[in-house]
Amino acid sequence: MLKATDDPWGNSVRIGTCLTAMAAFCAILAGSVIAAAEAAQVGLKVAAAGAASSDNPYADLGKLPDWSGLWEPLLFTTGAKTAPPAPPKLTPAYAKQYAAYQEKNRTTPGLNFVSNVANCIPAGLPGSMLQPYPIEFLFTPGRVTINIETYSVVRRIYTDGRSLPKDPDPSYQGTSVGSWDGDTLVIRTIGILPETVPITGIIGHSAQMRVTERVRLSPEDLLQITTTVEDPSVFTEPYTFTTRYRRHRDWTMMEYVCAQNNHDSVDEHGNPGFSLQRDGGKK
Amino acid sequence: MVSRKSISGGLICLGLVASAADVSAHHSTAMFEWGKEKAIEGTVDKWEWTQPHTFLWIKVMDSSGVAQLYGLEGMSPSWLGRHGWSNHSFAAGDKVKVALYPLRDGRLGGFYLRVTRNGQTLEALPQQVP
Repeated sequence: MLKATDDPWGNSVRIGTCLTAMAAFCAILAGSVIAAAEAAQVGLKVAAAGAASSDNPYADLGKLPDWSGLWEPLLFTTGAKTAPPAPPKLTPAYAKQYAAYQEKNRTTPGLNFVSNVANCIPAGLPGSMLQPYPIEFLFTPGRVTINIETYSVVRRIYTDGRSLPKDPDPSYQGTSVGSWDGDTLVIRTIGILPETVPITGIIGHSAQMRVTERVRLSPEDLLQITTTVEDPSVFTEPYTFTTRYRRHRDWTMMEYVCAQNNHDSVDEHGNPGFSLQRDGGKK
Repeated sequence: MVSRKSISGGLICLGLVASAADVSAHHSTAMFEWGKEKAIEGTVDKWEWTQPHTFLWIKVMDSSGVAQLYGLEGMSPSWLGRHGWSNHSFAAGDKVKVALYPLRDGRLGGFYLRVTRNGQTLEALPQQVP
């Protein structure tokens, strides 16, 4: 079953069963009328914060939802009930690449991450949001900053009403703007480097790839991000998946310098390497 | 005591999630004999609390009484530091028993799973949540 919904790009997006099931699950979690009323109140406050321009713009930040603390992606734990993403629907060229990757995983024991991250090249969006270590959200007037511990990545989301540029310089995290839809932060990103990984098993995409993320807090205090990746050269329809993150108010960010002591590598064919030289080969 | 089954469960989950979105581990695990657990005992030569992976170097006496140096990669401080490990978990000279997945190519190294010292065991891999 597919569901049509509006997206912030002004197009109709068809979202697969994964998202529909997740929405149903969240509706069950939301549960009561009281919870719905509270959510509506939060939405009104947030919308006001997004539109307000008082003398002290920092005062308006108090109207935004409380996303403080660090957010642990629920990737490792079976108890997280993070739904596996639905299979992507790919164009023939990328379907061939994806099938080859799946076959390699079937025939070679162990996971085969073939992208350049083993060489300490950080993942681009959306993979950067799916790394194993925490993320955090910082609110300042007109901007949301996302810090990602893995590879020490910073994303800057401009929420001051500006439009996306027509021709941004390509970058790993792209160029992002955000807006508040009630208590949901909607992030739109373009300008992601074409050599990055749109989904595991595929390397490369067109310069037209764009990513939409809808970020909200669930009633069970999990941060839920529904991500839609669009690129007609890769996907025959937009690819949507949902990830969730658990809050840790007492955690602090750790430094992550990949080149500090990296013994791993990957060659141009995706074959892994492993060095036993002391000090990561630096000495 | 955590069973091997529960460790596998956590990793299977990782594998499922990794099947599409670009989740990630820093690198492939294909260079290790993943799932074929092996145990060694030796003396800590160096404990490296570093990104993107910790490293445990231990000296193991071979059958002819010669010390052989093993290089063992493990999870990062980003994981271990939030699960009971620290920069001070080990010091040079500590006697340890290590469970690991060995390198496929036969070199003296692998990926460590748990380390026992003075009767206390630290688990390194994500465990299954009930």
